[in-house]
Amino acid sequence: MKRLLGVALGILTAIGGFVDIGDLVTNAVVGSRFGMSLIWVVGVGVVGICLFADMSGRVAAVSGRATFEVIRERLGPRAGLANLGASFFINLMTVTAEVGGIALALQLVTSIHYLLWIPLAAFAVWLVIWRVRFKIMENVAGLLGLCLVVFGVALFLLQPDWGQLAGQALSPAVPQTENAAVYWFYAVGLFGAAMTPYEVFFFSSGAVEEGWKRKDLIQSRINVLAGFPLGGLLSVAIAGCAAVVLMPAGVEVTSLSQIVLPVADAGGKLALAFALVGILAATFGAALETTLSSGYTLAQFFGWSWGKFRSPGRAARFHLSMIVCLLVALGVLATGADPILITEYSVVFSAVALPLTYLPILIVANDPQYMGSDVNSRGINVAANVYLLIILAASLGAIPLMIVTGAGA
Amino acid sequence: MILTDVLGSRVTSSDGRYLGRVADARFVLDQPPPGQLLAGARLLGLIVSPHSAGSFMGYERNSVNRPWPWAQLLKWWHRGSFLVLWEDIEVMGPETVTLREGFSAYDPGLDGTGTA
Amino acid sequence: MNRAQNAPVHLKPAPPAAGRVLDAQLHLLDRQVIDAEGLPVTTVDDLELEGVEADSPMTAGDPPPVISALLTGPVLGTRIFGGRPPSSRLIRLPWKDVSAVDVAIKLGVRSEGLDAGWVERWIRDKIIMRIPGGKHDPH
Repeated sequence: MKRLLGVALGILTAIGGFVDIGDLVTNAVVGSRFGMSLIWVVGVGVVGICLFADMSGRVAAVSGRATFEVIRERLGPRAGLANLGASFFINLMTVTAEVGGIALALQLVTSIHYLLWIPLAAFAVWLVIWRVRFKIMENVAGLLGLCLVVFGVALFLLQPDWGQLAGQALSPAVPQTENAAVYWFYAVGLFGAAMTPYEVFFFSSGAVEEGWKRKDLIQSRINVLAGFPLGGLLSVAIAGCAAVVLMPAGVEVTSLSQIVLPVADAGGKLALAFALVGILAATFGAALETTLSSGYTLAQFFGWSWGKFRSPGRAARFHLSMIVCLLVALGVLATGADPILITEYSVVFSAVALPLTYLPILIVANDPQYMGSDVNSRGINVAANVYLLIILAASLGAIPLMIVTGAGA
Repeated sequence: MILTDVLGSRVTSSDGRYLGRVADARFVLDQPPPGQLLAGARLLGLIVSPHSAGSFMGYERNSVNRPWPWAQLLKWWHRGSFLVLWEDIEVMGPETVTLREGFSAYDPGLDGTGTA
Repeated sequence: MNRAQNAPVHLKPAPPAAGRVLDAQLHLLDRQVIDAEGLPVTTVDDLELEGVEADSPMTAGDPPPVISALLTGPVLGTRIFGGRPPSSRLIRLPWKDVSAVDVAIKLGVRSEGLDAGWVERWIRDKIIMRIPGGKHDPH
């Protein structure tokens, strides 16, 4: 049981990357427009995030240094600040979107307009960060987020033509109704979401919060290998449900209520209830993850005291910066900005910021000064280099594809 | 003076020939005097790189050769780096560092110098 | 752009050092500073050298300069964007307070009394402690 609860950090981290509010929508959009033909990207993304999250967790456990401390130390103040600027901006956009996402999920449950829920959602996020222990926070948000497994169950209950789904997934092709640029735009978006940098910031800082040491390296690896593939499977299940129900019906996904439609179809009210709890927990978990990541990156760049394992009084600037982030998010949402649109953009921007985050992790994971004998194995280095090439390609392609396709329209 | 004033400065010989830029400053810790926590850090010399001002990872100074190809690339970037000792420095300025006549250039390697 | 065609080709092996060797960029700059209780204080934004004046020639046999303090504060901005802060605006962590140099720099004193901690203390006392639960220990 301890081992089982011990993977909560990995699960909560993965939820922010794979099934936060933007991904919930993107996955359903992808399923309803491209069937299973983009699922391979999720696989590529899962392997990539496993690779680099494993390195960042190992660096944190062995040297006690979280990822953004390492970025500052290796890249120096200039390139470090460039990375901080990009990462922090993405984080802030995502915090905004997730707070809006919680409110949208509550609107779905209660039929009360989401704008009314937003102040409450932001306050709840702050309260958890202010008062609740890290361990309890990750266990509750992670376990409740697992309710999203109901999408997998629904996919089975829908009794789809498995051969056809497998065919789409295994020999991917651009559907005739879509053009290639849009296909690749969504491919970059899915990849960027899977490898979004705040996952490694959160995972490595979480490792320090939990006090992982060299003896916990196994624990770190189990977290990585359980959390991220599970996150990937959840996102595939959501896309699969959309491919089976929404694609034939010609539904264009724009809201949360359409995403849960297949689940209600397949499993009735009980399944729907599970899906709603899962969505609420996932968006809430993602809001916690991104808000904390904003604080972690700022504090680690400037060397401030940080961490939920300290009382707020002993990490004052860290807590103040998160309060400010949540207030900014409230301000943006109050203008009526569409939370779902915000994440779709943030995912593309995150693809641009990827190389500056992952190269320093690779460098330090090979530095005996930090790692002693626990440096990367040769196989991991080869794989990491392959991924840096993919990351670079995605990073260079992201903005041009966004412009050419009008953000996937 | 503050250290980053000298980092990146041009390095010239006493007759004005350009040798490179200051990539780093090397210090050595003496035995701690009684009542102090750590020894004073005394300037041993400067690392001069003929090709690049920024010292990134120090691959030219240690035997770490991973991750391929980044280590090799950065090592090549700083090829020809050398160490000059404090005794051979005449002027340490914010713009230019001038070396004394007949200065000695040393191997900048860190291995075997007592650093982990 | 100058090309360094004059750089020496033949390098002598370095003379053995009397103690532990630290290269500023590799072992000191941009590292996290931690106080005696394990609380992060700041990062090393720059170093202050004592015993050398910029641009004034040294005579042979002058004793080498030593690190008098780790610097933080506005000096970070000038490292990124150029320029130099006035000496009065430098925030110093005296080298005599440093107890160990590892992947983080450890101090032998508590951050409570340090100049480098004043912003943290101000925000703590004026804002964070006034919110209910600010002193609450999570464990």
